[in-house]
Amino acid sequence: MNKDLIKYGLNNLWHRKKRSLLTVISIFIGIMAIFALISFGQGLSSYVKSISSEMGTDKIVMQPKGGFGNPTESAFQFNEEDVEFVKKVSGVSEATGMIVTSVQVQQDTAKKSRYVYAQGIPTEQSEQQLINELFATDLGSGRELKKGDTDKVAVGYGYSQPNTVFEKPIGLGDKLYINGKKVEVIGIYEPIGNPIDDMNIYFTSEAMVDFLGAEKEYATIFIRSSASEDPREVAKTVEEKFRKYKDQDEGKETFFVQTFEDLIASFSTILGILNTVLVLISLISVVVAAVNIMNTTYTSVLERTQEIGIMKAIGAQNRHILFVFVFEAGVLGIIGSAVGMFFGYLIAKAGGFFAASAGYSMLQPAFPLWLVLGCLVFGFFMGALSGLAPAYQASKQKPVEALRYE
Amino acid sequence: MIKDFIKLAWGNISHRKIRSWLTMIGIFIGIAAVVSLIALGQGLEKAVITQFNIAGTDVLTIQAQGTGQGPPGAGVVNHLTQDQLDKIDDVLGVDVAIGRIIQTGKLEYNDQLGFGFAASMPDGEARKAVHEILNLKAEKGRLLRDDDRYSVVLGNDFLDKTDFGKEITVGSKVLINDKSFTVVGFLEKKGSFTVDSAVLMNEEPLIEISNIPEGEYDIIVARVKNTDDIPKIKEDIERVLRKERNVKLGEEDFTVETPEGALKNLKKTLFAVQLFVYIIASISIVVGGIGIMNTMYTAVLERTKEIGIMKSIGASNRSIFTIFFIESGVLGLVGGIIGVLLGMGIAELLAALGSAALGDGFITTQFSPLLLFGALAFSFIIGTLAGLLPAMQASKMSPVDALNYTK
Repeated sequence: MNKDLIKYGLNNLWHRKKRSLLTVISIFIGIMAIFALISFGQGLSSYVKSISSEMGTDKIVMQPKGGFGNPTESAFQFNEEDVEFVKKVSGVSEATGMIVTSVQVQQDTAKKSRYVYAQGIPTEQSEQQLINELFATDLGSGRELKKGDTDKVAVGYGYSQPNTVFEKPIGLGDKLYINGKKVEVIGIYEPIGNPIDDMNIYFTSEAMVDFLGAEKEYATIFIRSSASEDPREVAKTVEEKFRKYKDQDEGKETFFVQTFEDLIASFSTILGILNTVLVLISLISVVVAAVNIMNTTYTSVLERTQEIGIMKAIGAQNRHILFVFVFEAGVLGIIGSAVGMFFGYLIAKAGGFFAASAGYSMLQPAFPLWLVLGCLVFGFFMGALSGLAPAYQASKQKPVEALRYE
Repeated sequence: MIKDFIKLAWGNISHRKIRSWLTMIGIFIGIAAVVSLIALGQGLEKAVITQFNIAGTDVLTIQAQGTGQGPPGAGVVNHLTQDQLDKIDDVLGVDVAIGRIIQTGKLEYNDQLGFGFAASMPDGEARKAVHEILNLKAEKGRLLRDDDRYSVVLGNDFLDKTDFGKEITVGSKVLINDKSFTVVGFLEKKGSFTVDSAVLMNEEPLIEISNIPEGEYDIIVARVKNTDDIPKIKEDIERVLRKERNVKLGEEDFTVETPEGALKNLKKTLFAVQLFVYIIASISIVVGGIGIMNTMYTAVLERTKEIGIMKSIGASNRSIFTIFFIESGVLGLVGGIIGVLLGMGIAELLAALGSAALGDGFITTQFSPLLLFGALAFSFIIGTLAGLLPAMQASKMSPVDALNYTK
């Protein structure tokens, strides 16, 4: 019986091709937008997850307060003694400071300048290891910086691309001018995924001071907690000890200490909220599509009033009639979702491609299975729910009156 | 004639009440969403522009190029210097050029700590000019004078502020970067965070507490004598600075921004964000349009016999087309009217909720006539566009076939 009803429903949809097609179109547009947006949200959160798993959970950062988005601009920076102090706090297995300063970089002293951040990489083996783990990327070509590399630098991915930092791409062994001083490029990093970080220049910590004349001050202290300790507890201990060391009162600290996990978590929460807002806005179009399905179903109930009467007269029960119309509406929903996901996939892929070519390779869509299945199920239920009221009306019709309907 | 058509269209629309309502609901949901989002977006834009306090129309802003993050002067390699300031001051048409230092710092009061920006005030005539350009007035106490040393004037946000546990008043001592300063006045409220949260002090003490070399500025503002000369003065300043800073044309490591330029840049950034949201919201209007098209196809199909009869008693193709065309236009327009009203309501509601949550003034609505009439026109056009194909189909029917048609 159900098989017959399903066949009957599908036939009806096929019979009214134009109307079914338009209804499907109205659903797929909304699903397309939602699918594309969620896939970007997913891609971003899996990027964040991959970073945190790559970095490990034992990392802690310590930064001065009041930086306002620019690492060189904090009112206070840490010094050598501060780093030494933090190293000795119990639970800390490793600590290192990073010198950051902004520099002018040119390909040729007569050519266009760019202004970027220069960062100091420690040359001590274990400290360099810690920094390398914290970077979301590896050296793509060339070698790591080592002690004595005064006029040698490693550069971000952006330099190896034409028309990104400079028109002409930079290769290993090429010369750059930093604040007018000539240096040699000995390493090029893989992309970090955003244009600012990919424009970084890396010196050794010593070269930052001796060669560039930067102050031996650190905008950030990176800490590795001991394997046996809970990083959050270590972060708390460091904060407490350092506060006492600096003779500051609780609540009046000029610095903050946070595990990397928490830092990333707060970042992805913000992204999640933004993504949710966009998805909610695109849900409006799905609501409109649901209204369209309802309308289509009302129309077909009206058109088929006599048919309903005949079916009832030869023994169809209310629930059979209800099933036919709800099923029809559900099929419209599921087809619309499938088409919408297909186009949403294309749009997300195209968007990811454009983001990558603009330097934001961290913005890549992801298509988990639950998203695909979820969209199909959502489409079916949305359709079926929209068809419920008209289908109910159809099922309640009296056979005699329905047969008489003109 | 056209009056009859409209009457006919209205009759048909009200005859199929459920269908017409559902069709219009489809349109007005979309219109309401777009109207409310744009109204809030424009309100937000206005609030943001006020926040950035783009100073008078007779002021050029000069900054050295840096990494572009943070406050003016942050991440700059080659700072603007006293020499450059003097040269700009000498440019023909420049009334006065003012160098300012902007530094991040901490402010301590009642054993509580806060972080923010401190900005320097120049001496003499230039001080008067800054007061005029930014229209600074003291709400309490007084503004800074040349002979002030460890005195500060605080922005209006510090008045009645409970962040420090105790109110700061004129005469209070505050610690800025661990140095004690006396508060001599509070500024009037400006509605812009750059002024309202400012800590103003004279140049000398700021250099002293923030450990920066003397004679370097983060930002230079130049007031012109005659606003008509702004483009020429901008070019002159650029030429002078190129020479002073030893850079070639097209390779400048500084920017000279006109007031219009600053406003334009800000609006451009805001627009890009708004556009993305609007496009996503507009999708629902398109979906509503498809609903109209569907309804119109159904209407044409249902009324095939009617069309046959009308044609056989002399209706032209054009008349049939007009009947259906008007019908779909009316569906769009009425949906649009309801949508605009609903959208205004939603926007006001959201603004009220937003103000309650985030404090007064930041989230407001702006209903420009362009928005309201634009939304109505748009919904009407969507309606007519959606009706175009069904109406054409109806008008092309041959009368005999139409009369013969059975469901």
